[in-house]
Amino acid sequence: MSAGLVGCSADDAPDEPQDVVIPEGDLADQSGTLTPSNPTTITTWITSASQVPANDNKITALLEEQLGVTLKYEIVTPDNVDQKIGVMLAGGEFPDLVGTTDLKMRLLEGGALLPLDDMLETGDYPNLATHVEDDINKMSYSGTEVDPGLYIIPNYNRFYGEITGGTYYGPAFWIQKRVLEDAGYPDLENMTLERYFELIENFKAENPETEGIPTVGFELLASTGREWGMTNPPALLSGSPNNGGVIVDEDGNAEIYADKDIARDFYEVLNEQYDAGLVDPESFTLTFDQYTAKLAAGNVLGMHDQGWNFQTASDSLRSAGKDEYTYVPLMPVYDGVEPWYADRDVMNTNQGFGVSASSEQPEKALKFLDIMLSEPWQKVLSWGIEGEDYEVGDDGMFVRTEEQRANARDLTWRASNRLEALLDMLPKHQGQFSDGNAFSPDDQPTEFFETLTDYDRGFMEQYDKKTWREFVNAPPENPKYYPAWNIALSDDANQVNQQLTDANVQHLPKIIAGDPAEFDANWEAYVGAIGNIDVQVYEDAINAGIQERLSNW
Amino acid sequence: MTQAPVSNVVTAAGLEPALEPVSSGASRKARKKGLKDPKRKITWDRVRAQRALLAMAVPLLLYQILFKYVPVYGWAIAFQDYKPGRGNILNQEWVGFENFVDLFTGVNGERFRRVVVNTLGQSVLTLVVGTVGAIVLALLLNEVKNLPFKRVLQNITYMPHFLSWVIVASLASVALSLPSSGGFINQALMSLNIVQDPVLFLTEPNYFWGIVAGTNLWKELGWNTILYLAAITAIDPTQYEAAEVDGAGRYRKMFSITLPGIMPTIVVLLIINSGWILSTNFELPYFLGNGLISERAETIDVFVLRYGYELGNYSLAVVAGIFKTVVAIILVGSANQAAKRLNQETLV
Repeated sequence: MSAGLVGCSADDAPDEPQDVVIPEGDLADQSGTLTPSNPTTITTWITSASQVPANDNKITALLEEQLGVTLKYEIVTPDNVDQKIGVMLAGGEFPDLVGTTDLKMRLLEGGALLPLDDMLETGDYPNLATHVEDDINKMSYSGTEVDPGLYIIPNYNRFYGEITGGTYYGPAFWIQKRVLEDAGYPDLENMTLERYFELIENFKAENPETEGIPTVGFELLASTGREWGMTNPPALLSGSPNNGGVIVDEDGNAEIYADKDIARDFYEVLNEQYDAGLVDPESFTLTFDQYTAKLAAGNVLGMHDQGWNFQTASDSLRSAGKDEYTYVPLMPVYDGVEPWYADRDVMNTNQGFGVSASSEQPEKALKFLDIMLSEPWQKVLSWGIEGEDYEVGDDGMFVRTEEQRANARDLTWRASNRLEALLDMLPKHQGQFSDGNAFSPDDQPTEFFETLTDYDRGFMEQYDKKTWREFVNAPPENPKYYPAWNIALSDDANQVNQQLTDANVQHLPKIIAGDPAEFDANWEAYVGAIGNIDVQVYEDAINAGIQERLSNW
Repeated sequence: MTQAPVSNVVTAAGLEPALEPVSSGASRKARKKGLKDPKRKITWDRVRAQRALLAMAVPLLLYQILFKYVPVYGWAIAFQDYKPGRGNILNQEWVGFENFVDLFTGVNGERFRRVVVNTLGQSVLTLVVGTVGAIVLALLLNEVKNLPFKRVLQNITYMPHFLSWVIVASLASVALSLPSSGGFINQALMSLNIVQDPVLFLTEPNYFWGIVAGTNLWKELGWNTILYLAAITAIDPTQYEAAEVDGAGRYRKMFSITLPGIMPTIVVLLIINSGWILSTNFELPYFLGNGLISERAETIDVFVLRYGYELGNYSLAVVAGIFKTVVAIILVGSANQAAKRLNQETLV
């Protein structure tokens, strides 16, 4: 494959398109591939919960001005991504850049993406080459049907320098700050399910209404594609990290836990709490949007979820100045177990941007990713524009004024000043830049504490903590294979996995919402339904994946 | 041959000879026989005389072939382990009837039988409720003599037809939710003291078919009525006059003239719709369905979407598609046959 870049050694071919004018400054593409004198339109497809940027977005304008790049977005929310991929594959037409979160990597097996190894070897994409250098084995796809090779550039958790950060995005049983405040900031060590629900129960008894609407004790989300909010807790409660549908023992043997006693105990508690009126009866009919809207209304006291999943709700509560309605993470566990909720951030090797096989300008598309990964652009995308969105202190460290912080909390402002959906899927320079600044304001230690509102700062002081991360366990070293949930599965294993998920989604709500007297019968029906499924196929596939990782990573 | 008598030219052009008055069964039979008259063979002369008509039929024929027959080669996918990445349809691995076995037996088979029952149940209920509702409304509207009132009524009832299913589904889900979330149906039931506590309609499997039929009724009632109203206008007014002379009242006329008058329309519509029985009802089950009620909610199309397209198992989706086609042909055929037996207007 020849990398026919504009501006390469001009043999005697006169098809130099136009005079290449490279703008001043370090945001420009020095190779001249992407310049305003030769405008480029790049189509992208992105899986993200973020919105399409507003028309007057200033970074969009900057992209056009500096690189001549116009992006055409198609943004699909994670709940709809499976169908979208199925339809795209059936049609065989893809946009230039494919931003996927496809755990099953059907896009790869369907031939949608270009192998990137050869292109990276040309040396024209230095930032990307550096980015993948150390972890290329991990990043390379090792599924069933295609040859291994690097096909997508992961979007999260390739770190540079020191890892810093204050916000916790992982799984937890979340509780509204006002509940803890009202209970006099109780000790959060050795949390149990019973104490967690007791806190909620007491608060709900005193505050049956929140701003005129009934207070909801505990929310569950059973919506297809997000049902892990309902199914993951048993593993976490028994001190196992988030491996998806399985618990992996010390020897690396994986086994599903959905029908085991640890699960039974959890759903029995939920069943009692449902009977007591603490679990929202509408839980099981909520779509993800309705769930987000409920949380954003501020009347939900607690739920089990991943921090990133209800980010939009937290943002809108914060931008409305209702900090007491936002959530802190708690880690209830069964007796005698150490919590392992927070894990070391793992690279999501099944998420990120790939260049599509049907793209007519793969070099330009990849160049765009490369330029975006350069430090100057990463700063623009993450911090904004110097002097407008942040200031640089005398020591070279980035800080923000109160107004700039308020802007960054404001959803409307962000639509016009940030490219969040794009940044979500782009490879990132997480950790530190070469000048010592953190990748994002949230990770900048000084900036993080300053970012907090007075309420939050007061709240943290009560617990003598400086970051939200300190509310959860310090993450132990990850096992080598970790995590099992992003192991690519064969078709058969996928189908079994789907059958398991469907059994969960169908039976668990009945178990939880049923009459406590019928709990045993409902549980038996559920275990029976799982018994009909060929679970072995799924477990074998996961175990094979673990073994493969143990020997290759 | 150039001096052919006029009547022969007419026959040659394929036009019906002037209609004899249809007065007895005997002459009707004669006409039917006439259609199969061996003399009406396709000759070169006839083709030439009809070339304009034939030319007009060509685009439609091409359309049918291109879009209805050519794609059938894709059924080959049903017998393959189809993977889009392997290139075209000839490069695939052939697996025989494995996909059929997979769909009709085991865990999938159990599930598939359930979704077939759901599809049938929801469609038949929708069809019956919708048809009866539309006929009743058409009959009643026909009796309304105040024209402006009739117009307004008609407009209101057919407006929802133009809403997309996404909107209708979210309206329905709000309407059926708890009063605190805007569920006015619960509010109404409670203020009328029909129920004490709000009912969570979308968590009770046994309500779902009814919800589907009800929502369909609301959306399509006015629209379906239009056809029947049109059919009513075609009824000869002298029949009403004659009935009036014989002393028939309003209801008598409705049952003895209007209803039989639109019966052919009803039957033809039912035959056509019977072909769609396995293909309708994707949107509501998809948008309103959830885990708790999936045993009654999930239809074939939803199942195909989830286990076919979403998992990248296109072969399974095609097998289900073939199954639907076969059943649809059988249904339309038998509906047509039944109509013929009952001496009704038929499609074929």
